[in-house]
Amino acid sequence: MRMKSALAAAAIVALAAGCGSGGGGDKGGSAAGKPGEPVKLNFLSLAWQKESVAANKQIVDEWNKANPTIQVTYVQGSWDNVNDQLVTQFAGGTAPDVIHNDSPALSGFASDGYLLDLSDKLPAELKSDIPQKSWDTVTFDDGKGKQGVYGVPFLQESQVIIANKKLLDAAGVRIPTPDNPWTWDEFSEAAKKMTKGDKFGVAWPMKSPVNKTLNLALNFGGTFFQTVDGKTTVKVGPEEKQVLQRIHDQLYKDQSADPAALGQGTADPLPAFFNGKFAMLPAGVYLRQQVAEQAPKGFEWVTLPPLKGTTSDQGAVSQTLSVAQDSKHPDEALKFISYFLNPTNQAKLAKGDWLLPTSVKAASDPSMTTKENGWDVATASAKNLVVAPFLKVNGFDEWKSKVATPALQEYFANKISIDDVAKKLVDDGNKVLERYQR
Amino acid sequence: MTATATRPAPPTPPARHARRRRFSRQTREMWVLMLPALVPVLLFSVGPLLYGIALAFTDARNTRNHETSFVGLDNLGELLTAEDFWSSFRIGMIWAVSVTGLQFLAALGLALLLNQDLRFRGVARVLAVVPWAMPPVVIGLMWKLVYHPDAGILNSLLGTHINWLADFSLALPAIIVVGVWTGMPQTTVVLLAGLQNVPRELYEAVEVDGAGRWRKFWNITLPQLKPVIVAITSLDFVWNINQFGLVYVLTQGGPGGQTRLPMLFAYEEAFRYRFAGYASMLGLAMAVVVLAALGLYLWRQMREAK
Repeated sequence: MRMKSALAAAAIVALAAGCGSGGGGDKGGSAAGKPGEPVKLNFLSLAWQKESVAANKQIVDEWNKANPTIQVTYVQGSWDNVNDQLVTQFAGGTAPDVIHNDSPALSGFASDGYLLDLSDKLPAELKSDIPQKSWDTVTFDDGKGKQGVYGVPFLQESQVIIANKKLLDAAGVRIPTPDNPWTWDEFSEAAKKMTKGDKFGVAWPMKSPVNKTLNLALNFGGTFFQTVDGKTTVKVGPEEKQVLQRIHDQLYKDQSADPAALGQGTADPLPAFFNGKFAMLPAGVYLRQQVAEQAPKGFEWVTLPPLKGTTSDQGAVSQTLSVAQDSKHPDEALKFISYFLNPTNQAKLAKGDWLLPTSVKAASDPSMTTKENGWDVATASAKNLVVAPFLKVNGFDEWKSKVATPALQEYFANKISIDDVAKKLVDDGNKVLERYQR
Repeated sequence: MTATATRPAPPTPPARHARRRRFSRQTREMWVLMLPALVPVLLFSVGPLLYGIALAFTDARNTRNHETSFVGLDNLGELLTAEDFWSSFRIGMIWAVSVTGLQFLAALGLALLLNQDLRFRGVARVLAVVPWAMPPVVIGLMWKLVYHPDAGILNSLLGTHINWLADFSLALPAIIVVGVWTGMPQTTVVLLAGLQNVPRELYEAVEVDGAGRWRKFWNITLPQLKPVIVAITSLDFVWNINQFGLVYVLTQGGPGGQTRLPMLFAYEEAFRYRFAGYASMLGLAMAVVVLAALGLYLWRQMREAK
């Protein structure tokens, strides 16, 4: 008797454990809910600046009040590990319904089939409010040869130069305007003029050099990738070398760039910038927020427009909202996205993150064109943004972290020559890309 | 055995069946009693392990529209010809050997010190164990602050402006220091326990023969400690080569892959580039390497001991 009951107990334990592991698969099945219960959506947001988190949460709250039948839960994520997190969640079937990310990451998830193609579902007013060139940054192959739209682009970043006004005026250089920007030559001259004693003209924080240099390389028509007969390869020719060489020259030939900043992340040199250790800091428009917030009293700074090579074109990536392929409520998710990204809210979000809205109406908002904190220059720079060629390259992420980041870091540390770096980017790079084109 | 103790006396069976029946019943009971412990192990440890090994022989990718198929040893072939893997493997070996070695030397010194009759010995012993109480992520964050290029305590002590964790030649030594610091407590505690087990009479005996400190250490302490040393260094080696959290927090494998330990490499392959099959093969290969290295080491030690 005892024996039998012990066996039965053990069987129950085993059964329960078995169910516990098997039950994970259909998690979320109950989320479909009974009729009358509100639809529940999870919204993974990557907002991190204080104002931006507040703006995000406020919009979600407003939506939840206005739409009792579709309730959105705000889930906080982080840019540092969002893609690792999503890979795991997609594979496990627990991904959030609405996903905040950026366009370079979408390409991979789109071709892996994890994201919903939105092209036939977008409401007309949202579609027309965002220009086609922004939609191009989220249009990708679905892995089977069909093109689709895999997110709604809403915030864009352009590269500007943040400068110390006192040092800029003292050097007596021409002040550039969005209509008449500096050329790279003028920029180098200005940096040389501002280099005096232990003070430098410019600082290039190059801890993550790849996106920065690739986006700027378009100034001289450098695309870094070419696709012939459906096969993508890396290309480093004279156009690609221009910006690389010019930054390198500032560091080692002109010695007008602060070598201490080289290994730092974008925001790290700010204390030295406030101390007047260098005069100019090329950075994304969003860095203005930290400058405005952290600058000591009396520190005057200006935003200078993007530089001009043969053109002022810069590669654009955008932050995006996407819907998971496995979402139970894609239509409701898209309704939420349309509300979240209407012109009023986009202006709010852009202000919160100090980035540029893709919405045409939001960009004409008075708060986006004021002279204060360089918003006028920043917003004007949006016209230079074109689709970054690397966006459509399958395997770019691996190329970036395994090949390009170390190669460019070594090059900017003056450990290898421009020809070495070109050879590495192409030879090692093509090997990486091959894995994705089988 | 408590189950048998409370069991009412069974009706006496025919004598010739008694032996076999009792034996089989005992075996059955053993399995039943073990089941609650075995089920989780099978479900959550052995199962995933076998699944991982099986994955290593497929071209599985972490994607939605990919048909996984069996590819035999293709992954292994790719692995053995990949430069990335070998450089990661080399870094992993440098890391594991130097961390284990330095950890052992430092811990032995500390253990000898703590074994002396010092004042505040109790406090010192507790302090030596503190790093043990911290999770690797917290240790990583703490040391990140120590190494911070502008606000770091190390740079302000030395009066330098070195970005320790971003420098190509300094990053690996910098994380090795952290690794040594992290693993010291358990090594120290184990060695200390070993030291306290060395019989006093042995020391007294050689003192009579007029041996100095150095001879006592060399001829008594070390040989007596040997089994403990073998055990703790081999465990340390396994822990260190499988280290992930600490380095993930400190450098994420940067700069330029200079601190990309094998496990970080496998993680990147699986979760960043989504080559699950390839990453599984990597994990499997590392497990085989560790087992082989360890087997060789233990086998030699055993043979010497005989």
